[in-house]
Amino acid sequence: MNKLRWISLIGVFAMLVFLPYVSVYQNYVAAHAYDLLSPGEQRLYDMVEGITSPFVSDPENDLDAIKGTTWSGQFFGVKLSDPLAVASQVSAGRRLYWPFFVTALIPLFATALFGRFYCGWICPATLLYELNTNLDAWLNRLGLRTGHRHLDRRLKYLVLGVGLLLSMVSGSVWLASIYPPAIVGREIYYSVALGGFGAGAVFFVLTLLFDLLVARRGFCRYLCPGGALYSLLGRYRVVRIRRRVDTCNDCAKCNAVCEFGLDPMRDDFGQECNNCTACMAVCPTDALRFTLKVRDREFQGPGHLGHRYRRQQPESENTACVVAAS
Amino acid sequence: MRRRSFLNRVGSWFALLATASLPYGMLRLLAPEPEAASLSGSKFGRLRGLLRPPGAIADEASFIANCIGCGACGEVCPVRCIRFHSRAGGAATNTPYIDPLQRACILCGKCMDICPTPALSPTARRDIDMGIAQINRDACYPWVDHGVCGACATVCPLGESAIGFAFANMYRPVVKTGCVGCGLCVEVCPHPSVPIRVVARDSNRSRPSRPDIAHAA
Repeated sequence: MNKLRWISLIGVFAMLVFLPYVSVYQNYVAAHAYDLLSPGEQRLYDMVEGITSPFVSDPENDLDAIKGTTWSGQFFGVKLSDPLAVASQVSAGRRLYWPFFVTALIPLFATALFGRFYCGWICPATLLYELNTNLDAWLNRLGLRTGHRHLDRRLKYLVLGVGLLLSMVSGSVWLASIYPPAIVGREIYYSVALGGFGAGAVFFVLTLLFDLLVARRGFCRYLCPGGALYSLLGRYRVVRIRRRVDTCNDCAKCNAVCEFGLDPMRDDFGQECNNCTACMAVCPTDALRFTLKVRDREFQGPGHLGHRYRRQQPESENTACVVAAS
Repeated sequence: MRRRSFLNRVGSWFALLATASLPYGMLRLLAPEPEAASLSGSKFGRLRGLLRPPGAIADEASFIANCIGCGACGEVCPVRCIRFHSRAGGAATNTPYIDPLQRACILCGKCMDICPTPALSPTARRDIDMGIAQINRDACYPWVDHGVCGACATVCPLGESAIGFAFANMYRPVVKTGCVGCGLCVEVCPHPSVPIRVVARDSNRSRPSRPDIAHAA
């Protein structure tokens, strides 16, 4: 499952890199002037044509099927938007535009089902952040100290609320400039098609440094407004991970691997879990499984395969014997 | 142990270098773009001849409030005339603009169709209002009797209703009310000072404020 998730993340990211080239290629096709292109441009033309020609007959129009980014885009004629985009447009423009709201319905529905899965399975920034976490581990192995502070997880709800309020006051969708997936998609397009990164790239590099120097996955955990919105929407998600106490051995590998600093070993998933399945992949006894329930279980006590549980069992028997003897 | 301490040192030097080069990178990125107006999006943008894509909400503040900066309009544009305030622009950051001096809009309407928000809404071609062209008769070649030209009238996608010729001289262009402000005439104008510009349409004013600049009839 975790491998599948990496494939999904890489696929989305590769798509975001490929689409700007497709867009540039369409420009060249529309210009009908292959001979006037520079050798580099001709190479790009040939490459994209080689990849896409089996699928389309009229590249100028047919390739419009997939456009845009994960922030808002078109997928085979269906327009999809991030719920945060709708929320900030509503607060900044102070009106609900139904055709735009409808584009967020599929993500809203999927979030109600799978919770914050966008953060773990689709978000193009997550790929870079998780690679950043790997870099963090490498640096630690080299002996360099990186930041592992813990902030309050509720900070991101504050960022979301203040962000929406500020966009209402200022009349500008400025959450779009601090929301990493929107930044990543946009900056890839800018750098490929418009010849240079924008200011968002600087902000994104700063968030990477924040993750490295202050808190592991700090931006997603503590600051991301989109993550906050998805957490709220996915609070009563139907598909969630559940720990089976009879096979758990309390090894705490799940807690160590959880990118969001949750506590799967003590049944504490909460609304922040993004169903990324990293804990399921690392679990040696296969004690973490998907279930269809809208609430987490209360703490079920130590796992039945664990040392603590085994230690507790004889102790209680001993005391029972002592009581019987007296 | 020696190797580890060496690696440590290399790592920390690398980190130091990366941190030291960050301000430089930030300065490079935040520097104003040379060709595009950094002040555009505000009313200065309109003064410098930057246009919003076709079908945009006429009210600038409302446009900024409704545009979510997804960039889809730029991605579908077949001539890549739609660019973005990517490095500066204040509240208008990431909103699209068209600079007709670089590349003008061909009124294909793909951007209006793909925009998910009310920022760009599908509009019939003749109802688009990106502005209106304005000709400076002090510089335009035929108007100062420096030969014949007519490039603007030839390229205009709307033809007779948008730009025609003066009655007295067959090559002196005159902008008419049908002009939607796509800016193709600005792109093709051969004069170095580009005496034709697209300005905001002003419905209150029927007569030109400056008699030397021809206004819409």
